[in-house]
Amino acid sequence: MKAVPSGVRSRLASALRGTRAQPPAVAHRCVHASVSRPSSDQSERTREPPRAFDPALLDFLVCPFSKKPLRYEASPNELINEELEIAYPIIDGIPNMIPQAARMTHQNKKKKWSSISG
Amino acid sequence: MAAPSSWGLWSFCCRGWSRVLPGCRLPGLRSSWPRGPLGARPLSQEKRATETHFGFETVSEEEKGGKVYQVFESVAKKYDMMNDMMSLGIHRIWKDLLLWKMRPFPGTQLLDVAGGTGDIAFRFLNYVQAQHQRKEKRQLRAQQNLSWEEIAKKYQNEEDSLGGSHVMVCDINKEMLKIGKQKARAQGYKAGLAWVLGDAEELPFDDDKFDVYTIAFGIRNVTHIDRALQEAHRVLKPGGRFLCLEFSQVNNPLVSRLYDVYSFQVIPVLGEVIAGDWKSYQYLVESIRQFPSQEEFKEMIEDAGFQKVTYENLTSGIVAIHSGFKL
Repeated sequence: MKAVPSGVRSRLASALRGTRAQPPAVAHRCVHASVSRPSSDQSERTREPPRAFDPALLDFLVCPFSKKPLRYEASPNELINEELEIAYPIIDGIPNMIPQAARMTHQNKKKKWSSISG
Repeated sequence: MAAPSSWGLWSFCCRGWSRVLPGCRLPGLRSSWPRGPLGARPLSQEKRATETHFGFETVSEEEKGGKVYQVFESVAKKYDMMNDMMSLGIHRIWKDLLLWKMRPFPGTQLLDVAGGTGDIAFRFLNYVQAQHQRKEKRQLRAQQNLSWEEIAKKYQNEEDSLGGSHVMVCDINKEMLKIGKQKARAQGYKAGLAWVLGDAEELPFDDDKFDVYTIAFGIRNVTHIDRALQEAHRVLKPGGRFLCLEFSQVNNPLVSRLYDVYSFQVIPVLGEVIAGDWKSYQYLVESIRQFPSQEEFKEMIEDAGFQKVTYENLTSGIVAIHSGFKL
């Protein structure tokens, strides 16, 4: 059962924004938590050297939202779903494919994407 | 497609258990969590207040995932040792029986969900490696007219000692996977093994990918068991097999009484003494009681689309292996 991209996109957007049935105070804390989490992931990465990611995994892994294949980017060590513009981090060689771990690429790497896509 | 109600659980996970009071551990008393506010009920009027159980406590579905994550994060380091102590080593036999029931052949693609510390994955690799070696030996014996050089070359061909078998270990908890990866490195498992952080309710795998899906002592911790079963059905190839090893209802009244006493009086104490964590082990034994019976779970598996669903009781029903096929 493949999801319709637009429906998935809206679901993904709302999930990442954390606006689902949350009172305002809690929503603020959700956003704060989501901002603080990537930095803790990064500190983990700096503590231990990033282990190699086996590209053979790409045959199996898909984005949990859209079930579409992903692209591996070695420099930020992430798996990228171009269609939905989200990236999943790889920590210690283990890809983090939990839906909430996804990061919106166009928000953080706007300049880099525009230079790549031309 | 499952709705991402798990966003709430991640925010809860990050906030931590702010409501849990420390030091609330009295030996002999079952209740471990404070009887204060019953967790964060969803306050919005549009969302129906879906509640579920966390052990014997009632929590919102959003909370449960976060709480379960905290439990396994806390027990991860001593998980294997506690398993040995609590089950007196019998869990090893249960897991061996699961493999013997599976009977994988070389070339099998296995997905082990909630496989954290890798017990099933390592057993699978051992099994298929042994099978592959036996097959190679049989082939060599059958070929009578080989020269010594050809035989030596066949034995030296160590490239694929697993015959193409592969196991993907998927778990939602980073700590459990870290322990599993360390074990794999320590025990020398390299080929045919991959580790993925993923949610059983939203698996990051494409349809029709795996020959066998196993979930050992993990499905009772999933918030929406039906979604996990549907995902299992989705990722299995046609002809693929679903196997679930889980604690279940005891069918013998005497064993049941002894088991209850052992579960509630001994296990949390062991958890406190050895791992310094009464609450997590209290949750573990309570969650066993909340899990559906063998027949109910069999029906749930059938509802997800599996056929030829059967179950086998082990140790008077303390544990049951459920099996189904995607046909």
